[in-house]
Amino acid sequence: MRTAQKGYTGRRRRLTFGQVVLVTFMLLLALTMIVPVLNILAKSFSDPDLSPTMGGLRVIPAGFSTVNYQLVFSNKSIMPALWNSVYITVVGTALNIFLTTSAAYVLIQPRLLFKKSIMTFLIIMMLFDPGIIPEYMVMGKRQLNLIGSQWSIILVYAVNVYYLIIMMRYFQEVPAELYEAARMDGAGHITVLMRVVFPLAKAGIATITMFYAVVRWNEYFKASIYLTKASETTLQVILRQFVVLGDTTTLVGMSNMMSYNELAQIDYGALKAATIIVAIVPILILYPFVLRFYTKDVIAGSIKG
Amino acid sequence: MQNRGARLRRNVKQFRRDWVLYALLVPTLTFFIVFRVLPILNMRLAFFDYSARKAWTWAGLKYFEIIFSSPLMGQIVTNTLIISCMKYILLFPFFAVFAILLSEMRFSPLRKFTQVVSYLPHFLSWVVIAGIWISFLARTGAVNEIRGLFGAQPIDYMTDKSSIRWVLFYSEGWRSLGWDSIVYFTAILNISPALYEAAEIDGAGRYHIIRYIVIPALITPMVTMFILNLGFFLNAGFDQVLNFTNAAINSRIEILDTYIYSIGIGGGQFSLATAVGLLKGFIGVALVLVTHFTSKRLTGKGVW
Repeated sequence: MRTAQKGYTGRRRRLTFGQVVLVTFMLLLALTMIVPVLNILAKSFSDPDLSPTMGGLRVIPAGFSTVNYQLVFSNKSIMPALWNSVYITVVGTALNIFLTTSAAYVLIQPRLLFKKSIMTFLIIMMLFDPGIIPEYMVMGKRQLNLIGSQWSIILVYAVNVYYLIIMMRYFQEVPAELYEAARMDGAGHITVLMRVVFPLAKAGIATITMFYAVVRWNEYFKASIYLTKASETTLQVILRQFVVLGDTTTLVGMSNMMSYNELAQIDYGALKAATIIVAIVPILILYPFVLRFYTKDVIAGSIKG
Repeated sequence: MQNRGARLRRNVKQFRRDWVLYALLVPTLTFFIVFRVLPILNMRLAFFDYSARKAWTWAGLKYFEIIFSSPLMGQIVTNTLIISCMKYILLFPFFAVFAILLSEMRFSPLRKFTQVVSYLPHFLSWVVIAGIWISFLARTGAVNEIRGLFGAQPIDYMTDKSSIRWVLFYSEGWRSLGWDSIVYFTAILNISPALYEAAEIDGAGRYHIIRYIVIPALITPMVTMFILNLGFFLNAGFDQVLNFTNAAINSRIEILDTYIYSIGIGGGQFSLATAVGLLKGFIGVALVLVTHFTSKRLTGKGVW
């Protein structure tokens, strides 16, 4: 049974005192979640002369200026890092999807040998995290020698067991007869995967792709350890250095700090705000799609009963 | 014996026919062997003295003795447990409460708005969240501005020792309230409408419906989530702490994982850091196993 409005959510629309209190409370709660973000956005577009005294509740820019974004997009540390993030996200997510879909396809086959052992192995791998130092040793000179290479970051997150299991569930929703029929017609496994599973599990693959992409884009920790050269680092690492650790010297450059020029006089708070916004925008672009595929039913208020 | 031979032959035949299938699994298994199994083997470093060029030399239990005699360890374990309790016990019920409140919102456009807004922070990195919160909690930030309206003196929350754990609590709530409530909201949507109708015919009000229909429906997912969280009890949220910490308050929120990071990657004491990680890993596995079997006995459902 599946109706647009199931359960009692949204069934009665009588305006009672309790409803008014509830809605007011929930909207205030939602405001605490969105106002800090809007305040950062407003600050980033404010006039650098006015932004230092701007209040924390303001969601409209004080004056208007794009100077912070001009500085961000011409910055010699931020721009290469932004492109590195895009590169690692795209290549990394492609690798994630390649491995996750092929492994998920194999693992849903009913007659797979050692299926139970393989699943147990994967679940142990999911639950047991050896920690950062033993992994750092693997990346080091004596083992893989990947430190300083972007492949370290691309490879170390190649498969997420949790997403693999979700992918398997999506694949299992494709009727088994379709696989069987294609196999009977003499199609190989790769053909079945490409021609039958991919088109039918499109929505599921799209969802997992977005989850992987978000994780890739947001990754900063291992990037800050393994990407030792400044030219290879990612936006989140730079953002952390600048916004969280407050290191303005690296970002703006020593020469600019010393000389009393335009760059040194800008409002760092507003420049930080603009950098944060640049890091959020790709997430905001993906967000509607994530909602659409993953939480569509939850938001529409209907769940299969 | 014959049976076994026949089965082997059948398996060999099947393997020949489906070798592509196994080939497709090779890259994934290789990944786990290289990036997970090899690190697990490297955990032996806890019993060795590290050397960059020469072979590691046996050190026995030296590093574990250092851990157990270190006065710092007590503080770090205490911090870890306090922060975990705040998140997994104190904050945890609010996710279910939020789901109930959401489901009680009658006017669906406003409910959808609340949902869309509250799920968003989950997708922001802790670096971004820390950036937003540093500004949010600053002297000129929103929180101090509101407090100022009531005549209170501004507080530097990020460097205030007595506030910082609550900063972690609230920022975790800010990030997870919406997203972590989805599982409970789904459970509420799955309640059969017949139950509500029957209750309404019997004259039950909203309070009684929540008390006797909604809350019982949330018990099972709450128990499951609670058990799942127990396995992560010693983690306490590494990424969050790493981005919210600073010299002024580090002693209040230094947890096992940040300590491992700072002595290992920061201080180069690889063996000591591995030893701490090994202990933490063992306790973590024990916690997962204990919760798995307890839950299996209590609810018939395990962690996996």
